Formats: sequence, structure tokens, C-alpha cells
Amino acid sequence: MVIEETRRKRLDRGIKVRTETLYALSTWREMAYLIVPRTVLILGLLLLPLILDMYWQRVLCTAGIYAILALAFDFLAAYVGLVCLGGALFIGAGGYISGLLNAYLGWPPLLCIPIATLAGAVISTFVLLPCLRLRGIYFAIVSFMFPLFAVHIIVALNVFGGTEGISALAILPNIWVEQYLILGMIIVSLFAIRRLVNEDIGLILRGIKDNDQAVRASGISITAYKTKAVFIASLMGCFGGAYLSHLYGWLGISLFAMDFSILPIAACVMGGMGSLVGPVLGAFILTPMSEALRGFGQLRVVLYCLILIGFIVYKPEGLMNYLQRKYHQFEYWERV
Amino acid sequence: MLEVKNLMVFYENAIAINNVNMTCKKGVITGAFGANSAGKSTLMYTISGIMLDIKKKEEMRGGERITVLGSINYDGADIINMKPSERAKKGIILCPERRRIFPESSALENLKIGGYLATKTQAKKTLEYVFTIFPSLKELQGREGGFLSGGEQQMLAIGRALMAQPKLLLLDEPLLGLSPRIEAILARTVKEINREIGITILITEQYARPIFPIIDYGYVLENGGAVLEGTAKELMENPDVKSAYFGL
Repeated sequence: MVIEETRRKRLDRGIKVRTETLYALSTWREMAYLIVPRTVLILGLLLLPLILDMYWQRVLCTAGIYAILALAFDFLAAYVGLVCLGGALFIGAGGYISGLLNAYLGWPPLLCIPIATLAGAVISTFVLLPCLRLRGIYFAIVSFMFPLFAVHIIVALNVFGGTEGISALAILPNIWVEQYLILGMIIVSLFAIRRLVNEDIGLILRGIKDNDQAVRASGISITAYKTKAVFIASLMGCFGGAYLSHLYGWLGISLFAMDFSILPIAACVMGGMGSLVGPVLGAFILTPMSEALRGFGQLRVVLYCLILIGFIVYKPEGLMNYLQRKYHQFEYWERV
Repeated sequence: MLEVKNLMVFYENAIAINNVNMTCKKGVITGAFGANSAGKSTLMYTISGIMLDIKKKEEMRGGERITVLGSINYDGADIINMKPSERAKKGIILCPERRRIFPESSALENLKIGGYLATKTQAKKTLEYVFTIFPSLKELQGREGGFLSGGEQQMLAIGRALMAQPKLLLLDEPLLGLSPRIEAILARTVKEINREIGITILITEQYARPIFPIIDYGYVLENGGAVLEGTAKELMENPDVKSAYFGL
């Protein structure tokens, strides 16, 4: 008896192999295979402000902040193995430094933002430094505590405007600068991080994630590399915070809000962990979705959660990982 | 008792098991030998059903696609799509490679966890039996699993598998990383278990020398296919087996 059975075979497209590993570009089609996805992403982001109205342009700015946070989270979680729930810490540190420089010293936003990005990242890294020995859930818990910590210090000591915050900070010149500043930053950090994780340092970071003892046994200080990674991630987060305080011209304890720690995770789950561009995409879907669902009043959160649960249960690999597979590979039935 | 027919297992496009046919007769010890990458562990995972679990996890992660084709007949029913827990209830118990004992539970607790499927009297009886065949476990019963030596851990793993009241016991590389003395003890004990309580045993091993004397029937796997089969005596007389496994 001969049993005829088939199975689905999955192979990389020839064009992927030619273009990505061999770099043997000989036709326009092969060039396009490489260029089109990147161009779609860049142009898509850059053209988005032109087609939106005023209200949605503001939403786009907020979505951008979440996107950059989600990117930082994905970088730390998928490439360094640090599940960092300190998104609010980054936003708060960046936001407060930038806002305070502006309020007390009167420096313009375009000077405050870079300074706050750097200073905030240094402070955040120092704060997180003692807990870099921790892994997994412990690091997540500790990094989740710091924003709460900061809020209570500010309230208890009644410094930096206390519970009221400080309003009437200088805002960015106009809506176009606001939008393109954050969009440009997203594109730059996205491609920079993607390059970084494929360099040697990226290899070490991934090694730390997989087996830190083996990395240590190779004579590499894992704390030094983890510190570098946290610094890079907090640079992105602190930029988001500094930008946020000048977007609304206001700083207050809600810069340390839980949302900044939690929503990036949701964006990562939706977009696909480890794909870097996925979380950005996820943030650009989730934030407007949460706005669009405002019409449902209190049901909004329920719907929002249902969509997220649906993603986790039915497509846990995430949107981007799925799309990338479809783009790079083809399938056919094969008789065995 | 167990009949594997035209079994094929693919990890994405790589073929791990290629058209393997295999029979385990009731009450005998069957051996499957092969080098690394011969497909021994895959075979064990597929028979015990763990492969379905791995497959599910890979699917969720968007990773490799695992395909299992063919049929596994056990006591007259095809079990190829049966859940691992159901298979365990039917008496197919895997003693996994690298032991996989619970490191933070004591030896006694490990054994008790293994006895989840057994009735109280069965568990009590088997526990005593395990302590008679592995006397050292009795002395170490209070120690955490992770602090036992390799040989003791392996004894514990076999004991834990016995606690689940197996009808077909799958031993995946039970001699991995053990000293020759412990190897000999374990091989002898496996034979004893087979003789005394009549359990059918399927055992895989890379290093055939200590196992060959105890098996009744054997298969040689190579690159996913079963290239040779025969009784222990027939295999031992085969010149290829002699040179590959005994260095003669």
C-alpha cells in the first residue's frame, strides 16, 4: 500500500538570497525588492502628516512618542533580554529636565530637547544600573517601580511644581515642526538600531540574552554591554519625554504615567517582537485606535483589550513577523 | 504493542525521520542506536507525543513548521494525533533525554509527581519498588533534585517514569554523560525492570556497548532512516555494526 501524503514546503525566495546575503544586484527587480519596503516605510511616515487634519495630526505626534518607546522596549526585550517597564521613567526624566531648563533658565525647546535627551538618558541609566544584574521578571518589576518612586518624591517634596506641574512652557514653533521632528527621529532611530543589532555589539547583546554565562566566559563584561544598551534605549525614551513636554507646553507627574510603560508592550505584541519596525507599526495602529474608539465611551477599554487579546491568542508572532515571512518566503505543496 | 509505520518528521524543510518502520513487541526491550542527528530524540518525542507540543509552540512563535506524517499504532489504535497527556494515560511514558528532573523538588517529591496518574496503592507499591532497585535513592530522598549527581539524577528520572505506571517505557539516552560503572548498573537495572514487571521498553543510545547485551531486538538509525534491524545477536554479528559500534 502506497500512502500519498503531502506537506507544505516553505522556502526563501531566490531573490531574497541574491539580494540580502550575496548582494548580487543585477536587475531593477532585485533593487526594488530591497528598496521598496524601506521606501514605503519612510515615505509612508513622511507623507502621513499631509493627509491628516489638525486633530489627527496631534494624535500622530502622540503615536510617535509611543512608537519610539515601543522601539526602545523591543530593542531591550528582544535583543538584550531586559524586559524594561521603565518607559515612564524615560519619559519623565526627559520631560522634566527639558521642561525645567525651559521654565527656569528660559532656554528654547530646540536646545532643551537635545540636552534633556542626553542628561535624562545618563540619569535613567544610573538609576537602572544597580538592577542590571537582575533578569527577566525581576528587572521588569524594579524598572516598573522607579516611575512610581519619582512621582512620590516630587509630590512629597513639592518640588518642580508638585502635583500641579508647570504650565506655559515654550512649545515647538508649529505643527509641522512637531510632526516631522518626531517622525524623523523615529526613522533615524529605527534604522540606527537595526544597523546596531547586526553589528558586533548586537551579536554580544543577543548572546547576553541567550546565555549570559557563556558571554562572561568569553571574557566580555556583560554589565558594560547591558549599560550601553540601556543608555541607547533611554536616549530614545528621554527624547520622547523632552518632546512631549514641549508638545503640550506643560510638565507634571502624569509624565510618569503607567501608560508609557504598558502601551509599548502592547505595541510590541501587536507588531511582532524582535522585528523593530513591528512595534513602531503597532504603536501607529494602537494609539489612533484608542482615539477612534473614544466614541464608545467606557466600552473603549473593553474593545481595546479584546483586540489585544485576539492578537495574543491568534497571532502571537505579531503582524510584522508574519508579513516579513510572506514577503521573503514562498510555499507550495510537496508530495513526500 | 507499538507499531511505527512510514513515520516521517520534518523540521521545516529538513527531514529528521525518513520513512521509519519499527515494531516493539510486548514485554521485550527494543533498542534504537545511532549517532548524533540520526533522529533518535525526534523518534522518542514523536512516539511520546511531545512533538505535537513542540509543534504547537513553534507555530505560536511563528518559527519552524514541524510536519509529522505516517502512523503510530499502539494497542490497536492509531495515536499519531493523540495529545501527550492522553498517551501517558494509555501507558506510554517518556524518560526524557538529559533527565529533566524537577531541580527544586526533593527526590521523593519528584517520584511523587511522577505518580500522579497512579492510584494510591499503585504509587506506594511502585515507590517501594523504585527504592529496592535504586537503594541510593532511598538514602537521598530528602535531597533536592538539582543537587543529585548525574547518575543519581538518571536513576531518579527512571524511577519517576516508573511511578507513572508505564506499559511502554521510552528511555531516551539514559546513559548520557555517566561513568562506565554507573552505565553498567543502570543497564542491569533496566533489564531487571523488564524482567520483573514485564514492561515493554524502547531505549535509544549512541553508545551501544553497555546496552547491546540487554536488548532483544534492535534498530540502527542513520540520518533519519532505519538502515538495519535484527535481534541483538544478528546485529552484533553484522560487520558494519561491529566496526561502527564496537570498534572491532
